[in-house]
Amino acid sequence: MVNYGGDEVSALVVDIGTSSLRAGYAGDDTPKSIIPTSFGYTPAPPEADVPMADGTEGEGQASTTKPKYANIYIRSERTLNMAARDGNWESYIHDFNPIPPLIRHALENVMRVDPTEHPILVTEPAWNTPENRERMAEIMFEEFNVPAFYIANTGVLNAFAAGKGSALVIDIGQSVASVTPVVDGFVLRKGLSHSPIPKFIQSLTKSLLSNHRNVNIDLWPHQLIASKMPVDLHQAPHYTLRTERVERTTKSWKDWAEQKEIEEWIQSIAQVPEQGWNDQVVARMPAKAYEFPTGYSAVFGAERYQVGEHMFFNNPQNASQPKIIMALVSDALRTCDPELRGVLASNVVLTGGGSLLTGVPGPAKHGTWKDGNIGKAIVGQRCK
Amino acid sequence: MAVSAADVRSALSLPDSSAAGPSNPRKQPSMTRKPEGISRELYSLIGPSQPSLAAQAKPRLKQKPKFATGASAATKWSLRSFNNSARKDGLQLKHWAKASEDPETEYPFAKYNTQNPTYTYSQDEYNRFLDTANRSATPKDGKIEIEKYWTKELTDKLFKLYQEYDGRWHVIWDRADFPPDAGFDLEDLKHRYYSVCRKLIRNRPWPGDEASRVTLINSLQFDLEREQMRKRYLVSLESRTSEQLAEEEALYLEVRRLEQTERRFKHEREELMRTLAGMDSGLPHLVEDNGAPLGILPESRGLNKKRKPTGMDTEPPTPSGAGSSPSVKRPQSTKSAAYDAQHCIIRTELSSNTPATKAAHQPAYARSSKIPYLKNNAMQPKILQCFAEMGLSPSRLVMPTKENVHQLDGLLEAVTAMLDTKKHLDKVEYDIQVAKKQLAMRNGEGVEEGEDTVKNEDAMDVDQGTETEGNEGRGASVVSIRSARSRKKTHRSMSISSVDTTATSVSTRKRQKRG
Repeated sequence: MVNYGGDEVSALVVDIGTSSLRAGYAGDDTPKSIIPTSFGYTPAPPEADVPMADGTEGEGQASTTKPKYANIYIRSERTLNMAARDGNWESYIHDFNPIPPLIRHALENVMRVDPTEHPILVTEPAWNTPENRERMAEIMFEEFNVPAFYIANTGVLNAFAAGKGSALVIDIGQSVASVTPVVDGFVLRKGLSHSPIPKFIQSLTKSLLSNHRNVNIDLWPHQLIASKMPVDLHQAPHYTLRTERVERTTKSWKDWAEQKEIEEWIQSIAQVPEQGWNDQVVARMPAKAYEFPTGYSAVFGAERYQVGEHMFFNNPQNASQPKIIMALVSDALRTCDPELRGVLASNVVLTGGGSLLTGVPGPAKHGTWKDGNIGKAIVGQRCK
Repeated sequence: MAVSAADVRSALSLPDSSAAGPSNPRKQPSMTRKPEGISRELYSLIGPSQPSLAAQAKPRLKQKPKFATGASAATKWSLRSFNNSARKDGLQLKHWAKASEDPETEYPFAKYNTQNPTYTYSQDEYNRFLDTANRSATPKDGKIEIEKYWTKELTDKLFKLYQEYDGRWHVIWDRADFPPDAGFDLEDLKHRYYSVCRKLIRNRPWPGDEASRVTLINSLQFDLEREQMRKRYLVSLESRTSEQLAEEEALYLEVRRLEQTERRFKHEREELMRTLAGMDSGLPHLVEDNGAPLGILPESRGLNKKRKPTGMDTEPPTPSGAGSSPSVKRPQSTKSAAYDAQHCIIRTELSSNTPATKAAHQPAYARSSKIPYLKNNAMQPKILQCFAEMGLSPSRLVMPTKENVHQLDGLLEAVTAMLDTKKHLDKVEYDIQVAKKQLAMRNGEGVEEGEDTVKNEDAMDVDQGTETEGNEGRGASVVSIRSARSRKKTHRSMSISSVDTTATSVSTRKRQKRG
């Protein structure tokens, strides 16, 4: 009997985030099913059951608890005629109506497991409320009839996944960036800090793209474009829309699609400057070309660094900037016991989809994490 | 099956081979026919003695797989529900287990659910021992003022948290939302917890022996002031500004640079001195200590020297002469000598005319093997005779201590010198006798008595020498000397006058030695 790692009780893990829901078996390296948390729905009352735009796509589940949504359709790329909703997460779950269908889809349709046979572990952010927890337990026990259920903290799980009992977990998600000090497998709640900086970055990008070289770049999603012509750099695009689809498209779906385009742009070419904003350095960095679904292509130089800069460095010109990641880190470390600062600062775990932004570990490596009285000698040595 | 092998052979007009049994019917044709794969020319060269490598292995069909049966069969596993005895809620989960395992065995992971021993107290105990209000009435060495006021509720809460988080103090501190006006610190929590535990152990009847109680109490010691100081120090370390850090770094580099320059200078100078003058530069050795950068400064050598003679725990400079310059080593302080005497350390002094640069290395040796030996061959029998007269053996010392060897050395020297003198004297006396004879021949008279006196005096002189040396001697060899002395004592007074008159030079030399 191999005792390392505990017993194998074939538990399932469900990790619900802003952009995606991940589900898999405990002990696996990667989740077995990753589905977007955004969904399409038909608003109640559903007198006429609107046929789906693409009948084969999507999984319909009637939500019975609240009549807000008549139907919920997962994989909302094609559900243009329905109102679309993001996962509706503002740092934690606000609306539980779509949760059961989402989980059911991930477990039963993707993983093909019977939830009644497996204990389930669900993750929660460290600032989750007791009501949310209760609701989640209710869903699990009453709707899925799971034999056992446990709620674990994402910060602790991230630290353990990196093989650390004590760590400073920097989690940059789609809607929230958070810094969680974990000591001996427990979250230090006093040192916890989070900020909606990713959302801010997205809105910043949106305004950036709406006025790039005095051009308002159209952010039509590819689903609504019938044809396009290749054009030269910075030339006005030639494209035709699928008018019949555009007419049917709801506003919320269009907003959602536009949001996707913005995120795509950020993930493709945005970058974090290594040492704060510096006009000369940024001017020397190579520019990158990006082609939008409309066929419009442009070269972005300094713009792609602006986005990353706002994530890590204070911009005095922008008063509405939420807490940057540096500030979160130094806040977390400052509230911790001085004894722990060295341990935490030398065990930094960087996680979350937002941390895949090019150059995120850069500021850490260059010692610019220093802020306030946290010595750079300890912070920013090892950030992986 | 009426057709026999012989029939087949005859039918195929093959040579009959009665020797070829049914065991090798296939080999037979290969002996005569050229096998495939070998060229005709080669076959004609090597003939039938072809390498056996070409021996044909007939292709076989794929073998039937062996399915394990019985003991080597694949283990059977079964999905079973189990009870975790560490759980109190009786939850049943399922896991895969070997079918051979007894389902009633204890869950192997239950043993990892361990808990630290926790202390509880009753209301009565709290009132009697743990109430800080009581204790502040009897303040002890001013320590009471740093202790904060604890109510029973807060103490209860602290103990509950300690149990819940299993003594992880940082988590306890994080979860404990004590009223802010109490002004508790993490150290205060620790202090309170450990002091309560100590008091409980001290005031309760103890089942074991006193030593185990003391060790337990010691394991629960907590020095509040020291911990607070340590934390302040940590904070000050962390709150260094980047300028201070840079300065520190620069200073460290500077020290390293200085040290390196110093070392290079010394090396160069030493080499120069060695080449030109054949001696050591006499520069002090640099202390190789990377951990304490300040220790490499030359001034610190003086500090080291000062510290040296403070006590027995500090080591005197290493006695090995190799490498270190004698000019530095020689002026050993008197305290160092005292240290040597106390610890019976004997230093072999290098003679001053040894070239300093030649590493005057002295290998270790047993003192007994280096007992001075008689070198003068002409004198040897006489010296031996002289020693025999004293009842001594010059080659064997019962106890070759340093002093005794030294004594023997001196004795040998004295005997040699005496014999020398005697030889000289003999010669002079012979001359005198010759001269007297010549005189007598001239005067016509004999000189019998004078000769007698001289001989007597010779024997006495030997005695005296032995005696003086023997007086200082110690150890086993002295015994024999003493006996010799007592034997010869009688001669002394008798012949003293003649010594003074005839052998003045010898006796003065002896006196000097004695002094």
